[in-house]
Amino acid sequence: MVSADDFNSDYPNHWCPGCGNFGILEAVKSALAALNLSPGQILIVSGIGQAAKAPHFLECNCIHSLHGRALPVATGAKIANHKMTVIVNTGDGDCYAEGGNHFIHAIRRNIDVTVLAHNNGVYGLTKGQASPTSAEGMRTKSQPGGVIAAAFNPLAVALALDAGFVARGFSGHGDQLCDLIQAGINHRGFALIDILQPCVSFNRVNTHKWYQERIEKIDKTHDTSDRTAALNIVLQSEDRIHTGIFYRRERQSFTDRIDKLKDRALIDYSYHSELLREILRKHVATG
Amino acid sequence: MTIDISILVGGEAGQGIQTVGLLMARTCHQAGLYVTMINDFESRIRGGHSFIQLRIGDRPVLGPAEKNHLIVGLDDRTAEVHASELAEDGLLLEPNEKAATVQRQSSRYIDFEKLAKKSGHKIMTNTVAAGVCMALLGAPFDHFKKVLKTTFDNLDEKHVEQNIKAAQYGYEAVADVAFKPAWQWQLETPKGRLIDGAQAVAFGALAGDCRFSAFYPMSPATNIIQSLIDWGSDLPLVVEQAEDEIAAVNMVIGASFAGVRAMTATSGGGFALMTEGLGLAAMTETPIVIVDAQRPGPATGLPTRTAQADLQFVIHAAQDEFPRFVFAPGRPYEAYQVTARALDLSQRFQVPSIILLDQYLADSIFLAEESFKIPESITLHTIDDAGMDNAENYRRYTLTKTGVSPRALPCQGRALVKACSDEHDEEGHITEDAGMRDAMVKKRHAKLEAMRREIRPPATMHADADALLVCWGSLQGAMQEAVALLRAAGHDCGGVHFVDLWPFPDTATSDILGKAKQFFMVEQNHTAQLGQIIRQQTGLKYTDAVLKTNGRPMRADEIFTSVQTILN
Repeated sequence: MVSADDFNSDYPNHWCPGCGNFGILEAVKSALAALNLSPGQILIVSGIGQAAKAPHFLECNCIHSLHGRALPVATGAKIANHKMTVIVNTGDGDCYAEGGNHFIHAIRRNIDVTVLAHNNGVYGLTKGQASPTSAEGMRTKSQPGGVIAAAFNPLAVALALDAGFVARGFSGHGDQLCDLIQAGINHRGFALIDILQPCVSFNRVNTHKWYQERIEKIDKTHDTSDRTAALNIVLQSEDRIHTGIFYRRERQSFTDRIDKLKDRALIDYSYHSELLREILRKHVATG
Repeated sequence: MTIDISILVGGEAGQGIQTVGLLMARTCHQAGLYVTMINDFESRIRGGHSFIQLRIGDRPVLGPAEKNHLIVGLDDRTAEVHASELAEDGLLLEPNEKAATVQRQSSRYIDFEKLAKKSGHKIMTNTVAAGVCMALLGAPFDHFKKVLKTTFDNLDEKHVEQNIKAAQYGYEAVADVAFKPAWQWQLETPKGRLIDGAQAVAFGALAGDCRFSAFYPMSPATNIIQSLIDWGSDLPLVVEQAEDEIAAVNMVIGASFAGVRAMTATSGGGFALMTEGLGLAAMTETPIVIVDAQRPGPATGLPTRTAQADLQFVIHAAQDEFPRFVFAPGRPYEAYQVTARALDLSQRFQVPSIILLDQYLADSIFLAEESFKIPESITLHTIDDAGMDNAENYRRYTLTKTGVSPRALPCQGRALVKACSDEHDEEGHITEDAGMRDAMVKKRHAKLEAMRREIRPPATMHADADALLVCWGSLQGAMQEAVALLRAAGHDCGGVHFVDLWPFPDTATSDILGKAKQFFMVEQNHTAQLGQIIRQQTGLKYTDAVLKTNGRPMRADEIFTSVQTILN
């Protein structure tokens, strides 16, 4: 049996004391252990940002890639070897700003990856600028007059694109988050878990207390197959923030729909020179 | 008699002039002749003016020609645009009766469309036109019929018969014309195979075991990917159209990291977007191959035309420094070889490789006489748990003398693979340590020594001549013909052609160019980019340069005239 401790890394952690990321990290370890997945079976792909450093702080295979680019990297990796469990650790700036276009199209592809979007409403690594999920009017050092743009609603966007698994968690509710991550990994296809977390260094608005006062677990009677109901919940004002699984609809993932990948992973095929000679004969005009 | 005949077929986009060209190229090729066919078109799907030029020879023909012996207009504009390119004994065929009879003595009116309709449908206008041309050149009708049948083997019998009828009407339409450049056809065994540069790259990719490609459509690179898609259905190959070039290159990096050989193809503008990913491949030491099929820029430039102006860009692309391979094949066979080789070298050295193609090479059909040798097996250049002393202690970026660290793949065993775009330590963890930073910079650059040994020297012809013409990539053929013309005119000229461009073959270049009295650059850019590199790497300065930037392929006669002017 795999235990959460098997994922402990001896690499020193870089996050600020009290950061919401710690709660997310522990929930990931517990979820992987609960699914009996060992470090060697996991590939974590991350972009750039505080969230994207996560795969250094746990035992796993990883590629810590470029700002915004985790999803295309993860897509290529999953196509090459779809037997891997692929998790994407990303943040609100990484996934929803720099990687916004990739976010849209990864959902359209329904690539089987679990996206853990650490959402703290602020840029931590670059010290406190607004992020796409910062509330309109939020004042920062770089937006002294308040953010002019409207906040990006990742869950509503994901639902509009009919993403197959749409959920929200909170770094302060570890047990629920652990369950969400397990459900996300078990989901065959694109799974988005937007994880609210306080940034203790740069976000003076969305503090731990602020979240505690507003967060509410979704009603048990919510029908997760009802996309309109899910959309209504995620469009609610920020006075009440629901967490849980809003929507779930399983269908064939990207790699499920490629016949060649039905029996084996792309990486497991062997090289066939005879097939190539056949192509040369068939397609290139010869004597 | 020596045959060196050129035929130009012009028309609006959508009229099927490429089919005319292909039918004629195959008819000649199947008779044992040499052919080259360029494809000149505008960035539009319908209308405008496009043309193909087919050059036919009984000896190798290596590039486009200046004059045309036969100009075939499927539209009125062909005559206007190309009449001045008619050879002395040439004939111009026009679809407009008035223009043909009134304005030009050497022209003749043929209503291709009417003949096509007579045979069943105006869609066969191109078959009529091909029939007319082949009849004028003296090609036996039965031979042409055979080619029609194999070309249209996807059509049902009725439509094949209609096409044969259309060809027959074409033959009959010029039965009374004595065309001087015609010759007595000897049906000999065909030489080699007809292939364009884009197909050659695609086939090289398959031979090099490329299993994944992601792309964003961009002229003139799209045909490379399309060939992969067309040919790869029975092979372990997945091709995905990405949302942009940034996604395309990052998907390729992800797939390669996970263990399959992967490649993308784009043009300069797309390469600009991929530059960020190029750096990621370098920093994470993930092997990738990017093909840049060049077109004139900057920005959108001339989307469907040719250039060689990205050389300096791709050699230097991305922030900071790292080793990379850059190749520029001169003809389809080299494109095939170089692509397979680039895939392998990238794996061996865990570095990115860039292949420079251009619109001229990608879209033109050449006759390749070489046999396309397909490797029997592929070397993986990776290790697994069994090949390690202790898989649990595996470090992806182990410091080695050669700079190459044993490469394991993720999720293949107990060895954990950590790759990182931040500067990292041997395990792949982020590091800020000054000593480790230096060690990693040195490690990445240590690969250069062995990479240089893989670089092949430029090819030469008449290397001991007083004056050498120096070119790279697709100018190979035009340069070779220009050298022959110059020598025939009494000039002691030779030629140098580069395929392997980076790491630059310093010593070989110094040895070759150092012996010549002078050398001239022949390039399709404004600043003689290779000339600059040669000066930087060897200290040798070119005397003069023949440059062309208008997006049209450089011809041998242009090089000949320019060099002769310089020499006189």
